[in-house]
Amino acid sequence: MSPSSFQVTSRLIDDVAIIYPRGYLNNLSGENIVSECARHAQAGVRKIIVNFRDTDLINSIGISFLLTVMEDLRDAGGTLCFSGMKKAHLDTFEMLGLTKYFLLFTDEDAALRALGGGQV
Amino acid sequence: MELRKALFNIASLSDLGGEITSEKDFQEKLKSFLHVVLGTFLASSGAIACRDRPDGRIVFAERKGFEKLAPQEIDLSPLLAAAKNEPYRPDGGSSLRAEGAEAVVPLWVKDDFIGFILLGAKFTAEPYTPEDFEMLVVFARQIAIALKNHALFLDLTEKLEENRKLYEEMRRIYHDTLQAFAAAIDAKDVYTRHHSQRVARYSVAIARELGWSEHDIEGIYVAGFLHDVGKLVISNELLNKRTPFTPEEIEEVRRHSLVSYKIISQIRFPWKDIEKIIRHHHERLDGTGYPDALKSEDLSEGVKILALADSFDAMTSQRAYREKMDVQKALDELKNCLHRQFDDRVLLAFCRVLDKEIRGELPEPDILPHLDRESDLSVISSLLQGLIRELSDNDADG
Repeated sequence: MSPSSFQVTSRLIDDVAIIYPRGYLNNLSGENIVSECARHAQAGVRKIIVNFRDTDLINSIGISFLLTVMEDLRDAGGTLCFSGMKKAHLDTFEMLGLTKYFLLFTDEDAALRALGGGQV
Repeated sequence: MELRKALFNIASLSDLGGEITSEKDFQEKLKSFLHVVLGTFLASSGAIACRDRPDGRIVFAERKGFEKLAPQEIDLSPLLAAAKNEPYRPDGGSSLRAEGAEAVVPLWVKDDFIGFILLGAKFTAEPYTPEDFEMLVVFARQIAIALKNHALFLDLTEKLEENRKLYEEMRRIYHDTLQAFAAAIDAKDVYTRHHSQRVARYSVAIARELGWSEHDIEGIYVAGFLHDVGKLVISNELLNKRTPFTPEEIEEVRRHSLVSYKIISQIRFPWKDIEKIIRHHHERLDGTGYPDALKSEDLSEGVKILALADSFDAMTSQRAYREKMDVQKALDELKNCLHRQFDDRVLLAFCRVLDKEIRGELPEPDILPHLDRESDLSVISSLLQGLIRELSDNDADG
């Protein structure tokens, strides 16, 4: 996958939106993750899981967009869960003191169960 | 944790470097710069301001948040008084603090104030640390240089465009002068009106068909315009004489190519050998031409092109002493004089380009508009097809 390749898809299970960022979250196309979350939030969704299973890289630009996601959901009074994060990314988030702004799960199913959403 | 933080900072600087050197549109780069800074310092809002063109006023080149802040209302004096590229926290009473700015960095390159970076509060609500400010200095220097380089690039682009316009204007004046000169030459003889212009256009068409560069095509165009400049020294009576020339008169008329050469040699043209092309445009491949009786191997392709273009126009134009030929007859004549007077590759190119013009394959025809309107184009086209076949076979054999 090329360093500029980044795609975001999502699905809705009951009242939980699951966001799938794929590729390198390291450039302006990362803005799609913000717009995808905003689209669900505008539809009234307040529980969002971002599944990082297929996210290979997160750099400072990616962190900037994830900050916006966190901020938007915090302002809307919602719950944000991250799942499938690679250890290196998680270490960075921990070092930056960001892990208290989302719930962390090893996988999507665990996050869904915690949020009381439907089964996969 | 300190090591991890240091590595993160290095990675962020590398992110910024990558964006600076990327081939993105500059506005996209600016947006990326801002997000690198926001992501590195966990700022919820931020802006990069720089000087606008052409009036130099400060504008926000990119921002997230700070929508209510009007750049022209910002008091720049504290920014200008602050240390270059050193972040500071704006005073409590300032408009910047009122709009949520927690850190400001004036951007300088040497003595040029480039703009500034604003950062709002951190997402984590923690204050900016001295270490953050130290790191911000490094970011600011790089962003300042990138902004300065972009401004220099725009300056150069503008100057280049000004020069291009100036060059085009000079070129237009130059061509107008050439045309005026050619008109003066052609006016000597009532029967050769627009002859130089037509020879120039025909020569261009042949040269282009032969694959000449645009630079060299312009050279042959100029040669076409000026090839008869030496006729200015020949008397009007002689040029317009209706009865056959005496041997002395023939010698006098033939002087024009040498006179043209002498005149043109005084001008430093940007094209190679233009004066030689003009000197030899009445030479023949068999060595019976003038002024130097050169043979084919001593004649350049430019000479051969101009010779054919000049002859074809002379044949298809009315003269004081004879009627004009129709195009078919002129083509026959060119063919009959092949190898003795005209080069087969040049004639082939001439036939090909004229055929393309007749078939409407060329958007701006050079030859067709000047041909006799009575001409039967279908007959000419079929004659050209035959000639092209014949000359192509010769070309393949030879």
